[in-house]
Amino acid sequence: MKLIVTLMLLVAMLTALARLDDSTSRADLVYVNRGDVFTLDPQRMSYLKDFRMAYALYEGLVRWDNTDFTIQPAASELPDISADRLTYTFHIKPEAKWSNGDPVTSHDFLYAWKRLLFPDTAADYSNLFFIIDGASEFWAWRNEQLAEFAQDPSAGRATQLWNLAQAHFERSVGIRALDDHTLEIRLRQPTAYFLDLVCFAPSSPVHRPSVEGWPESIASDPRYQERGWIGVELPTLDRCQWAGLNPKTGRFEQKHQWARPGRLVSNGPYILAEWRFQRDMRLVKNPYFHTPEIVKSDSILALTIADTNTSTLAFATGRLDWLTDVNAEYQADMLQQKLAYEQRYANELAEMSIKGRSLDDMLGALPPPEEGERRDIHIFPAFGTDFFSFNCRPFLADGRSNPFSLPAVRRAFALCVNKQTIVEQVTRLNEPVVTTLIPPDSIPGYNNPVGLGYDPNRGRQELESIGWKDRNSDGLIENENGELFPIIDLLWTTNTSRYKWISLELKAQWEQALGVRVELRGVDTRFYKEDLKQGNFMIARGRWYGDYGDPTTFLDLCRSTDGNNDRGYENEYVDAMLDAAALELDPARRMKILEDCERFLFTEEMPLIPICQLVQVYMYEPGRVKGLTQHPRLVQYLWQIEVRKDEE
Amino acid sequence: MTRLIVHRLLQLPLILLVIYTITFTLAWLIPGNPLENPEGRRPPPEIVAAMKAQYNLDNPVVFYFDYLGKATGISWLIGRHDRPFDLGPSLRHENWSVNEILAGSVPVSMTLGLTAILLACLIGITTGVIGALKPGSIADLSTLLLALVGISLPPFVVGTLLLVVFSVWLGWLPVGGWGGVSYLILPAITLSLPFAAYIARLTRFGMIEQLNADYIRTARAKGLPEYKVVLKHALKNAFLPVLSYLGPASAAAMTGSFVVERVFAVPGVGTHFVDAVLSKDLTLIMGVVLTYAAMLIVFNLIVDVLYRWVDPRISLA
Repeated sequence: MKLIVTLMLLVAMLTALARLDDSTSRADLVYVNRGDVFTLDPQRMSYLKDFRMAYALYEGLVRWDNTDFTIQPAASELPDISADRLTYTFHIKPEAKWSNGDPVTSHDFLYAWKRLLFPDTAADYSNLFFIIDGASEFWAWRNEQLAEFAQDPSAGRATQLWNLAQAHFERSVGIRALDDHTLEIRLRQPTAYFLDLVCFAPSSPVHRPSVEGWPESIASDPRYQERGWIGVELPTLDRCQWAGLNPKTGRFEQKHQWARPGRLVSNGPYILAEWRFQRDMRLVKNPYFHTPEIVKSDSILALTIADTNTSTLAFATGRLDWLTDVNAEYQADMLQQKLAYEQRYANELAEMSIKGRSLDDMLGALPPPEEGERRDIHIFPAFGTDFFSFNCRPFLADGRSNPFSLPAVRRAFALCVNKQTIVEQVTRLNEPVVTTLIPPDSIPGYNNPVGLGYDPNRGRQELESIGWKDRNSDGLIENENGELFPIIDLLWTTNTSRYKWISLELKAQWEQALGVRVELRGVDTRFYKEDLKQGNFMIARGRWYGDYGDPTTFLDLCRSTDGNNDRGYENEYVDAMLDAAALELDPARRMKILEDCERFLFTEEMPLIPICQLVQVYMYEPGRVKGLTQHPRLVQYLWQIEVRKDEE
Repeated sequence: MTRLIVHRLLQLPLILLVIYTITFTLAWLIPGNPLENPEGRRPPPEIVAAMKAQYNLDNPVVFYFDYLGKATGISWLIGRHDRPFDLGPSLRHENWSVNEILAGSVPVSMTLGLTAILLACLIGITTGVIGALKPGSIADLSTLLLALVGISLPPFVVGTLLLVVFSVWLGWLPVGGWGGVSYLILPAITLSLPFAAYIARLTRFGMIEQLNADYIRTARAKGLPEYKVVLKHALKNAFLPVLSYLGPASAAAMTGSFVVERVFAVPGVGTHFVDAVLSKDLTLIMGVVLTYAAMLIVFNLIVDVLYRWVDPRISLA
């Protein structure tokens, strides 16, 4: 009896807890992310999946055509550019509206860019925007003021300092709202890629009253209804729900819970309808979007499925339209099956391609795959490079002198890497191998130079030329004092098996070709990052994704002062060339300087060994899912994607 | 009974304080900075310093007491914070507070865990009783086999197998996610198997012992039907070891299994245990551990109370 009562009690509890409502109804487009979006605050974003959301929720001044990366009008018309190419004037479309009906004005952009350029926001991409006149000086000034304040914090002074900073920004930084619909941006020096940055997610506008959590009463002010928030008096910070000044540090601090359904106000094609943490996010069409006809799907559901095996199985059941990041251990085998399918229909494909149809269209028109074949997995080269870094500092972290501080040693090791073997037999993904850092054909107007290829004989000569050779025929190289080449400390990360296998292959190749000994050290990503910072490695895996369409997004890694120069690489000539390129006004000549710089880096200096272009593996049924671009920058606009609904 | 409950509830804050202190020390020692991306760009040093200051990450003592005050509600009581039991903002997922994350994931894990435990009892007790009735028979051997499989097969194998068969081949149940009952079935079965196996062994053992006891012979002798002998008399006593196992087992099941949640893409707490530690999300680590600890203590208390209720001879106070 007692047992039955207990059981009944448990069942009752269970049903109470369950609330088993099946609210995950389908959307027009269902896609999967491996992890949840980190933030929906565009100024704070730095992940690809976050950017993808930003392009759906927000609309910048201009945007890329994501197939050729020309600049197209968005919330503004194409800007007027002054003859000296320093001043850009944007005319914001009067029909542009926020999702609550407020007009989108120049002040919204001014506000968002101000957030980007205030150190208080701690935006990852602030320094990209230091090309704006006065921005980097303002940044330094504000940091100095804050440091001074922190020495002697006193209550009222934080507000005073904050107001002072506002005024200083308006005076010294080259962004001005000429009127409610005209925004003027003045650059420090002509910058070829400035408009590319304007398209970039962190330059998206945000809606100030909702970001700061203004009191509701303000919206009913008649002046607000007329001109938007700029028409009313700013509320003091203590009346704002999500913003405030830290009395200890004087910094403007933001709580980020505004970026949630019901609170987030956006100006892009979609609004945020639902967001359940590490579960799903639902977007629906923004009723106030000014050109609704370009938006293909009425609703989008982004699911979070961490396990790529599970997401692949879920895809097989037909519940999902698009997997954005396939990374199952068996993906290489799946790609082989795709190849088998393409080979069977090679003639048909060749015939159709003459008629100029896209590959997806052609695949979709063929008969369905048979056993052992598939056509729903797709691999695309991305805007990034997989490489191995050399520690270029004169000394290692433990104080020993570092053999890799010599370019000849770095060249020797680079020459002995057979990259083709790596992509064919180790990763088995056949990524395009590269000899330079910038992915080929990804930046219009830039011709990639050719770097060092595979030439083990020349590699051995390079080492011999500085005295390292096998003097006692034991298979290992020694210097003239008979000392062995130091054991090489090769650092890789344990988060995926990819780097383990590549590192093992490199070890084998170097030991065989050069007569050196290599020790592998696999560590967790966080330890790895610490080791990189301390210079505690000889060779370490690395990778880099470009952020904007210009060679400097990659080459700046080799600047001696760059914050991401993990290699500790310093070369005055490289720095000088990068500076010269920054000052060069003629676009063609500028590209030539950067090309020379990259050639010098990857034929002489080799601060790192580029292995291959990074790839992105998608799954979708070709012909059914349309609107995905295959341009290496892989900027996918969710509003462009259309899923054909037939058999349902 | 009341004394027992009051006594245990008074102990709760003390135990939690010890757990909080140990977890905090360990979590603080994790290298790295939760505010930085493990891969990708590095923020300038002055920004890192400022962000650390904002979340008290520059001073362990301040963090320890500040967080303790906010989490326990003491800061709220003395009027220094606007709400009680505030576990802070997640350091890694800035749009979310730890309270919101837990509010979304704890019910999911509890539902899944409770279903799994009920299933485990159902399967475990049934097979255990069947096995005990005729030890050494084919029925007994097959339940033994089931228990062996349940204990030794890792959940990611069982889970994937179930997914392939019931979702991909047969198409009966969805793969991954959380929503209706259909989403609950496969993960609950997977999660229940090891518990079911253990319960089956416990029941079988207890039943064999009880069925040989004198009072059972008496019951049979006075002509009670066999089902009454087994279910009413023997099982009641054989159930006691199962009951004491159910306390920690329910807590373990309801606080989420990382593997089962990952394989079935269930948005529960288990995921946060691992992800929070990997990303050194201090506030989330503390929030999850404190919640888990509190649940564990409360479940053990519930079991103790039930224990006395089932068998009044036992004194626990």
